[in-house]
Amino acid sequence: LASDDFATTPRVTRRAQARLGVLLVAPLMLLVGVFFLLPLASAVYFSLVDFHGFEADPPFVGLRNFVELAADPSLLPALKNNIVWIIVGTTAPLVLGLFIALLLWNVRRGSTFYRVAFFLPYILPATAIGVVWSWIYDPLRGWLNEGLKLVGAGAFVTGWLGNPDTALTAVLLTAVWTATGFVMIIFLAALRNVDVELIDAATIDGANARQRLRYVILPQIMPVFLMVTTITLIGGFSVFDIVFVMTGGGPAGATEVLGTYAYRNAFQLNRMSYGTALALVIALLAVPFTIGLNRLQRRMSLYRTGA
Amino acid sequence: MRTPSGRSRKRLALGGKHVLLIGLSLVTLFPIVLALSSALKTRADVRSNPFGLFSSFSLESITRAWTLGNFGEYTINTFVLAVPSTIIVVVLSVMGGYAFARLPFRGRTVLYYLVIVGLLVPFFTYMIPLYFQLQGMALLDTLPGVILVMASTGLAFGTVFMRAFFSELPPELDQAARIDGASEWQIFLRVMVPLVSSGAGALAVFTFLQNWNNLLVPLLYLPGGNWRPLTLGLYLFAGGRSIDIGPLAAGTLITILPVIVLFVVLQRQVTQGILSGAVKG
Repeated sequence: LASDDFATTPRVTRRAQARLGVLLVAPLMLLVGVFFLLPLASAVYFSLVDFHGFEADPPFVGLRNFVELAADPSLLPALKNNIVWIIVGTTAPLVLGLFIALLLWNVRRGSTFYRVAFFLPYILPATAIGVVWSWIYDPLRGWLNEGLKLVGAGAFVTGWLGNPDTALTAVLLTAVWTATGFVMIIFLAALRNVDVELIDAATIDGANARQRLRYVILPQIMPVFLMVTTITLIGGFSVFDIVFVMTGGGPAGATEVLGTYAYRNAFQLNRMSYGTALALVIALLAVPFTIGLNRLQRRMSLYRTGA
Repeated sequence: MRTPSGRSRKRLALGGKHVLLIGLSLVTLFPIVLALSSALKTRADVRSNPFGLFSSFSLESITRAWTLGNFGEYTINTFVLAVPSTIIVVVLSVMGGYAFARLPFRGRTVLYYLVIVGLLVPFFTYMIPLYFQLQGMALLDTLPGVILVMASTGLAFGTVFMRAFFSELPPELDQAARIDGASEWQIFLRVMVPLVSSGAGALAVFTFLQNWNNLLVPLLYLPGGNWRPLTLGLYLFAGGRSIDIGPLAAGTLITILPVIVLFVVLQRQVTQGILSGAVKG
């Protein structure tokens, strides 16, 4: 579209446009270059040497950091936690978010309040979320234990974040709490474009609520459904903030994920190169999913222009 | 078939929906209510009666957190960090977004790809080398260093976001302005920028929230303890394993209150930013 357009513009104009274009992107490219591309390139360099944070000229070790990664016994549990995180942290918000969006769909009265209430957790800082949920999980004065006792489930009372058996579940539950609102708001926007007449027609044809969801609503919001799935999935690889704030990967590595493990290696064990190599691997792990997301989005924009 | 009984059943279903929605939203809001309640109780009450919601009222925890806990200073620091980095993101994204959307120049596609790679790479991939780079540039532990890094983390999203707005404007617009004798610079500043101001506003709100919530950038690149923002202050305060829940709750409230107010007032802009982040991202 753009090139057709510019073919008809005079050369003087085109030159003026090119000059302004370069001028306008220059400050952007300067910042992106210095504070993103340059450190990203150094990350590759870091991963190929053995740097502990003080050497002026760290020795080149080739792929040794990556070889060590493959044999690292602490890596597997962290990767396993990431996989649990990806599965639960994607499925639960997706189901809950869709459920709430369907409930909210067509509800007029109080809809602003509901939307604010459900969406609020998503925009709060992870630090504050971690602090509040730590009180809820507190072994002695926590609301969760108190609630369990109230409903006669006192046998389950425990120090949720301090117990290696429950810590991951507890942090995940908090993450689900924050992510559900995000999923909900996107589904709600998608539902707005759903053809209501089709649903009415299905109702008249005798389809029950489940059949309407399965055969009429879901197919219409499928592109958005796949997109949200991919976004939360990719987020599962690079999860860091909430784990870092709530448990730091503990107790005894029970909540360690790849991100916190990379951080710990770099900033607590001074293994800058090893931590960076791991961080690069995490970024690469997410690439196939990112490409998939990109394809989906292209398909979705086709779908949107076709509609 | 819409019989009278069908209609009343429909009303009953709506009532059931509201009951469910109210229950779910109360569960969702509970942690926030808990923070509010613990921050506004007397400190003795917080300790002796942790399960009483709003069982007493006192501002002593808030005052303590604000003065002794340094949260007053942290609040100012948060604005000092978040406002300039938000301005940088919005201004550079509007400029870059316009150029990438409507101005042909050599290398445009390559440069655009270099910018949007930022959407795919998590921050922690390059946070370690960036630490040593800032040290080498004498920007570690400085205000400009942290502001520039914070701004840089938002530029990829901002550029994609603003580019989408400029792409949607009809091509006849600049042609008409050009016939009227406007220069390229005037077309950008007088014709185009005003037309995307709602998008720029949404980006500003969204970016400000991101910067407000950012913990990792100040944690890593302000090791000396200067210019500590609320998120970092709260993180360190909580890490002190203090049993003094009252001031900790007050600190939490001070950290999240501006976010909540901003979100409730500018709900539309925030959701728009996040929706297009997901859809166009």
